[in-house]
Amino acid sequence: MFALKVAVFWGCITQTSQYACELSVRRIMKELNVELVDLEGTSCCGTPIKSVSAYASIYLAARNLAIAEATGLTDLLTVCNGCHLSFTEAMRFLKADEALRARVSSLMSEEGLTYEGSVNVWHVMDFLHDVIKKEAITKAVKRSLKGLRLAVHYGCHIIRPSPLGRPDDPEEPRKLDDLVEWIGAVSVNYSEKLDCCGAMLMLSRPDGALTMAGSKLKALRECDVDGLVVICPSCHRMFDERQRSAGAAVGVDVRVPTLYYAQLLGISMGIDEEELGLHLNRSPVDELLSKVKDALSP
Amino acid sequence: MTLIDLMTSKGPDLGLRLKALKKAGEHKPYDCYQCARCSSGCPSMKLLELKPHEVVGLVRMGFVEEVIESGMAWACASCLKCKERCPQDVAPADLMLALRNLAFEMGKEVPEAYTRILSEVMEFGFVQRPQEVLTKRLVRVNRERLGLPKMPEPSERFKSTFLRALEEL
Ligand code: SF4
Ligand code: SF4
Repeated sequence: MFALKVAVFWGCITQTSQYACELSVRRIMKELNVELVDLEGTSCCGTPIKSVSAYASIYLAARNLAIAEATGLTDLLTVCNGCHLSFTEAMRFLKADEALRARVSSLMSEEGLTYEGSVNVWHVMDFLHDVIKKEAITKAVKRSLKGLRLAVHYGCHIIRPSPLGRPDDPEEPRKLDDLVEWIGAVSVNYSEKLDCCGAMLMLSRPDGALTMAGSKLKALRECDVDGLVVICPSCHRMFDERQRSAGAAVGVDVRVPTLYYAQLLGISMGIDEEELGLHLNRSPVDELLSKVKDALSP
Repeated sequence: MTLIDLMTSKGPDLGLRLKALKKAGEHKPYDCYQCARCSSGCPSMKLLELKPHEVVGLVRMGFVEEVIESGMAWACASCLKCKERCPQDVAPADLMLALRNLAFEMGKEVPEAYTRILSEVMEFGFVQRPQEVLTKRLVRVNRERLGLPKMPEPSERFKSTFLRALEEL
């Protein structure tokens, strides 16, 4: 039996290329007795369209929120920093501006949708940290990650802009560090922790974007970490899928095992590697996995 | 292009300045006192010579078209550090987006990738179609082979409402 039931919004990047994020989130939520309800008829969350038209991006966010509300569920889970920010921002704009809300509502009614602004928007990070909580997470751990030294990357959009109300502190976030430490690994502090992955720049200045990602990976190589943990599919794409090009942009063969947090949690739960999409990571995750096995040996 | 080049090329355009200021977002160029704190933490400054305080200053003076044509706004990584740290709540990050919106509206040159994702969202609802990816053992897989459900499809109506959202200003 499921203890909790939430609507889930996957977004563009997860559903069209970063399958490891989707596979691992689906799998760990099952393990934690959370039922995920997929949404019909959703679209892009609006984030990339912010550069084209602020209004159209708010429209996209609002229609997805309306689809979630139509399920009657009170909670909506996102797996991406961009989706979480786009939804939170749109809710704020629509609440503050009645004229905007009237325009969006009338357009949406042609799709048969109604927006109330009533759903709670969660990100995997604060959902695990604040809803599932420490006790349930530690109880699910079957393999110890003891001895693993991991770096965490929050990503910009989950901690900023703080006046909007973000899941964690803009300058000293803790939740992802906690999630890593609750399951037995060490979260290593490093000075580039809050540096941007560059994902949004990929569309306009890929050279700069890859240099941003590469500089962070290069810095990590010097910190002697066993891996990098991310919580956003866009950051995952920059640090995992594009690791080779990011390294090339800064002239270094970086080799930093990079995984999405749900994959790490899944490993500690003893879940099969392929079910967590670990066969899809492009960074050398096997190096990290072999250390988990080492840590388990008597 | 430097600040001086931009300003000597043409005079300020106050109408366009107003238009930029009215764009959605929380940017308030008038409140800027040019402390340059935004630029000091900007990751695009080191790499791409983006100076958010200069962009704010130019817009404030009415050199909007010059800023748009310089392409500066497209060097922003949307990291939101400037928005978080500005002592005056000016939000240069939002101004960059407003300038990009204006570039589309005025038919100026925009990065090709944005035109591509825009047409994908219009046609398909998402920025790209699901890709085939390679596993560690070099097997080609797609959503179906990975046991993932079909992607959601927005209704036929969506295309026309989204198009109208793009046209409405
Ligand atoms: S930090 Fe704010 S006040 Fe200072 S220069 Fe930048 S935009 Fe202006
Ligand atoms: S949001 Fe853009 S302008 Fe502001 S600090 Fe980040 S990269 Fe620089």
